[in-house]
Amino acid sequence: MTASGMTSPPVLSARNVSLGFAGTSILAGVDLTLHPQEFVAIVGASGVGKSTLLRALAGLLAPRSGRVEIPAANTPDTRAWSMVFQAPRLFPWRRVRSNVELGLEGLTLTRAERRRRALEPLALVGLDELAERWPRTLSGGQQQRVGIARALAVRPRVLFMDEPFSALDAITRRRLQQELVDLRRRTEAAIVFVTHDIEEAVLLADRVMVLGGQAPDRPAGVVQTFEVPLPLDERRDHPGFAPLVQQVEASIGNH
Amino acid sequence: MTEGLTRAQRTLYSALGLIGFLLFWELSLRSGLLPGSLVPLPSTIPSVLWLELLDGIWFEVVRSSLSHYSVGVLLGSILGITVGMSAALLPRFNAAHAWLARLLRPIPPLAWIPFAIIWFGINPSAAAFIISIGVFWINYFASYSAVHSVGPGYEEVARAFGQQRFLARLTKVSLPAAAPGILGGLRAGLGQGWMTVVAAELFGIPGIGQRMMEASSLLATDIVVVYMLTIAALYATFDFLFMLVQRRLLRWQS
Ligand SMILES: Nc1ncnc2c1ncn2[C@@H]1O[C@H](COP(=O)(O)OP(=O)(O)OP(=O)(O)O)[C@@H](O)[C@H]1O
Ligand SMILES: [Mg+2]
Repeated sequence: MTASGMTSPPVLSARNVSLGFAGTSILAGVDLTLHPQEFVAIVGASGVGKSTLLRALAGLLAPRSGRVEIPAANTPDTRAWSMVFQAPRLFPWRRVRSNVELGLEGLTLTRAERRRRALEPLALVGLDELAERWPRTLSGGQQQRVGIARALAVRPRVLFMDEPFSALDAITRRRLQQELVDLRRRTEAAIVFVTHDIEEAVLLADRVMVLGGQAPDRPAGVVQTFEVPLPLDERRDHPGFAPLVQQVEASIGNH
Repeated sequence: MTEGLTRAQRTLYSALGLIGFLLFWELSLRSGLLPGSLVPLPSTIPSVLWLELLDGIWFEVVRSSLSHYSVGVLLGSILGITVGMSAALLPRFNAAHAWLARLLRPIPPLAWIPFAIIWFGINPSAAAFIISIGVFWINYFASYSAVHSVGPGYEEVARAFGQQRFLARLTKVSLPAAAPGILGGLRAGLGQGWMTVVAAELFGIPGIGQRMMEASSLLATDIVVVYMLTIAALYATFDFLFMLVQRRLLRWQS
């Protein structure tokens, strides 16, 4: 299914991106090209710069050097990209549904359409019943799922997800992982997915990008990129699955 | 320290404290412990209030105090919030006004009385002006620090979901996120307004303060107490009503 994607122009291209904060350099030389329907997972140790890279890819943070481009534009009822943040960051002064509607505001949708477009992803993450609640009355995992719904509601061409399932129980996580697999089939969306769960990365992605190599005097970078040539269905039971997970693990361990 | 008491018990003790205080006051006067020229008998207050009401004086002075109170509070709040929020949101404006604000801030509202009289004359506008100054500073600082302390996290979410224009950020992030602090400032300003109302009227602008000065020059301490209680009641009413609004607006908080 990614074969069709390969022929169409990229939805995201990053060239030689370097990142840092006030004097310190944290990541250097990152390249990434993403085509429609592609799924890239980014893994690496805590603090290596995964969230920072994601923010830079989305254009929320200017890179020190290099270039990031998302050629897609907003359409009347979709956005070029959206993001699931590592912490849910819901607006506590908005009800759940209104939080999910945030990205729909400013698009050419009527109130009723906005409402429908918000309830749809809320149902997907199993929270449509809580649509009129205040965020503070939700558990951490429920808030994280609202954050996922908020990002899905705008039907992005590129979806950035920063450890979106980390606060969820195993069963919910499995269900939402499956939903992501289905989402890829249903839509054109390309996904950049940060996780520290290597099994999850290999389970979902076409490519797994390992960040590492950070030393006190040296910024981190891409140490290795793994292609995942396994079928999406029943991938967990595929004989190639466990060895690949081990390879990725080893790659992180070595850096 | 109040955890040990039920709500009913607390009410009971509060009532007992107040009644005890009034009784002690009444008895001290009746027994001659306190000279009657210094303070009035509490038991005479209701009848004095009744007389002031019958004369229409009470309504007249309360109406005029309320009119410059509301103008002053409204003006001071609107300007204070506008300038405070602008300072927090616009770095250039913040820098440009910083020294001026530091210079003007320590001047107490009542120190503006001479200018109020020169600019407006002895009339309600002068009182409204004085009242607005104290209210302005309270709202200015409350809204400045409320907006200033809104973390960058919400702002980033707004940008990520296409709400990056100034007006969208203002109405969708800055205002709601800072609302608790801004409303707290408004409420404090409502109280501050009453403090300056009386003082602003002492130099001859009709209202509660002027009536109190009149009464004190006739040694009518009972009338003075009637208006002290009037101010307390007005303040409590405004504060209560505002609290209801505040609670409604901030119902997303715990
Ligand atoms: N706003 C900031 N200012 C200064 N340094 C920062 C800032 N944000 C992140 N950093 C630093 O950049 C590095 C990378 O942080 P980042 O959040 O991208 O890590 P991460 O890989 O997402 O980690 P985790 O898996 O724990 O989420 C860290 O060393 C962190 O201290
Ligand atoms: Mg992170």
